[in-house]
Amino acid sequence: MFVARSIAADHRDLIHDVSFDFHGRRMATCSSDQSVKVWDKSENGDWHCTASWKTHSGSVWRVTWAHPEFGQVLASCSFDRTAAVWEEIVGESNDKLRGQSHWVKRTTLVDSRTSVTDVKFAPKHMGLMLATCSADGVVRIYEAPDVMNLSQWSLQHEISCKLSCSCISWNPSSSRAHSPMIAVGSDDNSPNILAKVQIYEYNENTRKYAKAEALMTVTDPVHDIAFAPNLGRSFHMLAVATKDVRIFTLKPLRKELTSSGGLTKFEIHIVAQFDNHNSQVWRVSWNITGTVLASSGDDGCVRLWKANYMDNWKCTGILKGNGSPVNGSSQQGIFNASLGSANTSLQNSLNGSSASRYFFPPLDSPRAGSRWSSHAQLLPPPPLIEQSCDADTANLQYPHPRRRCVSRPLNLLPENEGV
Amino acid sequence: MEKMARVTTALGGNALTGRTMFCHLDAPANAISVCRDAAQVVVAGRNIFKIYSIEEEQFVEKLNLRVGRKPSLNFSCADVVWHQMDENLLATAATNGVVVTWNLGKPSRNKQDQLFTEHKRTVNKVCFHPTEVYMLLSGSQDGYMKCFDLRKKDSVSTFSGQSESVRDVQFSIRDYFTFAATFENGNVQLWDIRRPDRYERMFTAHNGPVFCCDWHPEDRGWLATGGRDKMVKVWDMNTTRAKEIYCVQTIASVARVKWRPECKHHIATCSMMVDHNIYVWDVRRPFIPSAMFEEHKDVTTGIVWRHLHDPYFLLSGSKDSTLYQHIFKDASQPIDRANPEGLCYSLYGDLAFAAKESLISSDSNRKPYIGDRRHPIFFKRKLDPTEQFEYISSSSALSVFETDVESGSMDWFVHTAKQYALAGRPLAELCDHNAKVAKGLDRNQVAQTWTMLRIIYSSLGTVASTNLNHSMGKGSTALPLMNSFNLKDIPAGLGSESRLDRSKGESRTENILMDSSSTLINNEDNEETEGSDVPADYLLGDVEADEDDLYMMDHENPHAEEQEYSLPQEAFPLRHEIVDNPSALDHLQDKADSPHVSGNEAETVSLTPVESFSLISISHSLYENRLPSDFFNPIVRDTLLFYAEQGDVQTAVSVLIVLGERIRKEIDEQTQEHWYTSYIDLLQRFQLWNISNEVIKLSTCRAINCLNQASTTLHVNCSNCKRPMSNRGWICDRCRQCASMCAVCHHVVKGLFVWCQGCSHGGHLQHIMKWLETSSHCPAGCGHLCEYT
Repeated sequence: MFVARSIAADHRDLIHDVSFDFHGRRMATCSSDQSVKVWDKSENGDWHCTASWKTHSGSVWRVTWAHPEFGQVLASCSFDRTAAVWEEIVGESNDKLRGQSHWVKRTTLVDSRTSVTDVKFAPKHMGLMLATCSADGVVRIYEAPDVMNLSQWSLQHEISCKLSCSCISWNPSSSRAHSPMIAVGSDDNSPNILAKVQIYEYNENTRKYAKAEALMTVTDPVHDIAFAPNLGRSFHMLAVATKDVRIFTLKPLRKELTSSGGLTKFEIHIVAQFDNHNSQVWRVSWNITGTVLASSGDDGCVRLWKANYMDNWKCTGILKGNGSPVNGSSQQGIFNASLGSANTSLQNSLNGSSASRYFFPPLDSPRAGSRWSSHAQLLPPPPLIEQSCDADTANLQYPHPRRRCVSRPLNLLPENEGV
Repeated sequence: MEKMARVTTALGGNALTGRTMFCHLDAPANAISVCRDAAQVVVAGRNIFKIYSIEEEQFVEKLNLRVGRKPSLNFSCADVVWHQMDENLLATAATNGVVVTWNLGKPSRNKQDQLFTEHKRTVNKVCFHPTEVYMLLSGSQDGYMKCFDLRKKDSVSTFSGQSESVRDVQFSIRDYFTFAATFENGNVQLWDIRRPDRYERMFTAHNGPVFCCDWHPEDRGWLATGGRDKMVKVWDMNTTRAKEIYCVQTIASVARVKWRPECKHHIATCSMMVDHNIYVWDVRRPFIPSAMFEEHKDVTTGIVWRHLHDPYFLLSGSKDSTLYQHIFKDASQPIDRANPEGLCYSLYGDLAFAAKESLISSDSNRKPYIGDRRHPIFFKRKLDPTEQFEYISSSSALSVFETDVESGSMDWFVHTAKQYALAGRPLAELCDHNAKVAKGLDRNQVAQTWTMLRIIYSSLGTVASTNLNHSMGKGSTALPLMNSFNLKDIPAGLGSESRLDRSKGESRTENILMDSSSTLINNEDNEETEGSDVPADYLLGDVEADEDDLYMMDHENPHAEEQEYSLPQEAFPLRHEIVDNPSALDHLQDKADSPHVSGNEAETVSLTPVESFSLISISHSLYENRLPSDFFNPIVRDTLLFYAEQGDVQTAVSVLIVLGERIRKEIDEQTQEHWYTSYIDLLQRFQLWNISNEVIKLSTCRAINCLNQASTTLHVNCSNCKRPMSNRGWICDRCRQCASMCAVCHHVVKGLFVWCQGCSHGGHLQHIMKWLETSSHCPAGCGHLCEYT
């Protein structure tokens, strides 16, 4: 169950991005009104705006947090062709007393000649690095050689992607086996059939980023792209927001001894494709363990996707944008990590072979998505706005551990019948 | 431009047609102006002064006005304007301060008509009166504006701005006598053409130079100004004080502004430097342009709407020596490409979601509340209901979907991390403990894994043998009791097993496994709730019996069946049956009645050691050649890999640490390191610093171990010579003495060393503390008043 907490953002134009910090205690929003706001979570869970300042002279497309090891640092990018790095100033001032914090601009990255559409800090183990991409199709990777000096950034790499870029994502894997990798999505809407997702990998030998893969199946404009947190997996998962939600797995093939140092080859599978948003999908975001994907689309809904133990992805919840939880997510209430698998295993044991009907190995058919949607709809059809829902479930939130054990099998029943 | 939209606009009789097109000029343009009938355009620059006719497919050069043998500076134009009443009349402002008028009706090649050499410096702007044929206004760098009557040789009147250079002058379209002038110091002045002595009104419009202004073609009070401060401001001049009603923030200094015909709130701008694009803004949405023309490769210097009443054709000249006709249809629209939503998953499973309100309002047909969506500052003005382009609500709703404990929340991770025991106890205890933790959090599969691991590993190896010694030392009473009990129990198990069919073997094995684990769990529950030791002890004994059964089975069955032990398969069906397994309960009940229970108080001292001891003793004595636990290593390895792939790196790492050497060699170093770094990163995200530190300490990877030693630097001064210590170690480079001598006892300090940052003297923590209880001076006698806090 989700409880929606509406926040009066007070941005004067569209909010384009929301970003949580490393510890999930702070949140930054950016908007077309050229400002960035920072929100801090108070003890009782309320979000308070602790800073709001004008960052750019154009729409701010994205905002992102650096690893806290480097301080409280934000990066933003904008239509005004710049990206900027901001740092929170700690000091005694009147601001402090009013519960406001002060942010100063540490640097402006002005290399782009067109709108900078995305900015992302590299995973921490790579040091303090920043990647930007711009509408003219150039990905730039900057590095702060001295992590104490945020005002000095040197442009390390310029990757030309040929297509107008809209989003980038670093591969977060901290494994030494995985060399730095960045995925780039393009929102180029000209009717060519070029792959709109390209994956670049750092090559130790040439010290350059080179194109490792292009997802040829993605030909529609891509609005967002996200690598899942890796957490020790041997493969990578990539979510793509285009006209539908897609999840790819990239399994690095063993490097041949001869081509050591060359580019890694990947075995790419599309493991899920959902058109349930019925329209453009704008954003995708992974949970911390990379097990649940959230997507949002033009239908104003957030949908949650989760794989069961057989790697079948399906919808586990729909959240209506205006805060009312759509109750189709009723089963998600019992979906915590371990339980999810136990639960599905039960399903397996009950009707062993029938479950495999839903098993789709790399299946490109767009029908795959719709089939899953019909599966999800077997649940009691949700009322669109469920006001009392929160209050009811609140009583059930914290049952005694033992009571939970008793109540669970009952919850499982509807789903099993559905299958 | 690939897209060649052909647009036809009916303008009461004559129609404008055309497409996006351009032509190369010979030189950079400084300004352009269009003829009243929208058929011709004049381009002026330092080295160019030409008239082009605008054909359907292309620009055609009509006339070159730069004639004469020697090039005159009079031809070097800063500005050009075509009279809107008389299509033969043009005026240019020359960079040398001359204002020239041109009569296209002249039969000679040189069309130059009048020459006014009154300004001392560059003339920035010339402007014809919109309705009066002979009236021309100029504004110059020298700070003066002059009004010329084209029938006279000299200026009619001179207006002194009393401030800096004039950048733009514009006659009001509606007020016959009024004109506006903008200045480099940021001021805008309003003048009455009849009163050259003093301006009517002055206000500061911008921070820095105001480069341009434009009167609204319909609304008489509106004046738009653009400045170096990158802003376009719209002023309402109807009131006594000029009031800023809109402010548009562009990304570069604004060189030209032009209201779009027929669209009340639209205005086109171009920039003086950096930015080569032309933007069309809706002033009510001041942050994001509604259209953008990106054709030019250099700064755009002149923009003009092709026809007074046509909003779709825009002409522009640029420093890149091109003249463009832009069609509105071909414009790129940043608003459409802008992302209307933001979504982010937080660490704790909360989802922040921001979306355009129109997307999430449940019924899209409902008219948006026009009143309260607008921001008071920017949208004071009432919307014109006849507005051609409907104003789109442009605000976002932000909400955070918070998970509760039950569903996506990550509480289980935190609890698990906090409660898991990873070291410091015997393996079996660790496994039991962790299984209990997992069970408590309803993570049955993980609990099962721990139990499995205990079964597999705890019976062998160092842990067991130490336990053996341990319990031996406990006293002799426990030993015989246990032994007798177990020995008595085993045959029963044996018997039951032997009755089994071979074919049923596999499933039976699973059942037994389940029995054992379920009883184990029950057992733990008992321990927990009832707090009485006797039944718990007893049950443990019972479990062992089952385990032994299990091993015996393994032993009997061929190896092929061992394969069936791979965890994913057996773990799944288990959970279902644990819940209510009658056989297990019976079993339990059964044993509870057994008379052997009574006298077991003696072993309450330590449960697990005794238990494992007994297991050992039995298994060793009875089944000398049972499988070594190594045998299971591949399975355990697969289990860990499975968890890692599932995103549960916590389990993988915890097992890795608990099993230590037993499993380490099975998994390659790199993977282990990857797991460790991932898990440590996760722990740090949840601010579980102590646990992450513990994991680092317990890890067997060198790369992980040294994480703790990295980036910790101490800066120390030598206590003898007071110079900073440069090298590693405690021997000072300069005085060749050990720097870590205790100032109190004069021995070298090993362990905790405390020193004063003021005088660099220090010593053993205890010594210094003791010393400072009695004295406030440095124990080394240097006279420094040391402060140890």
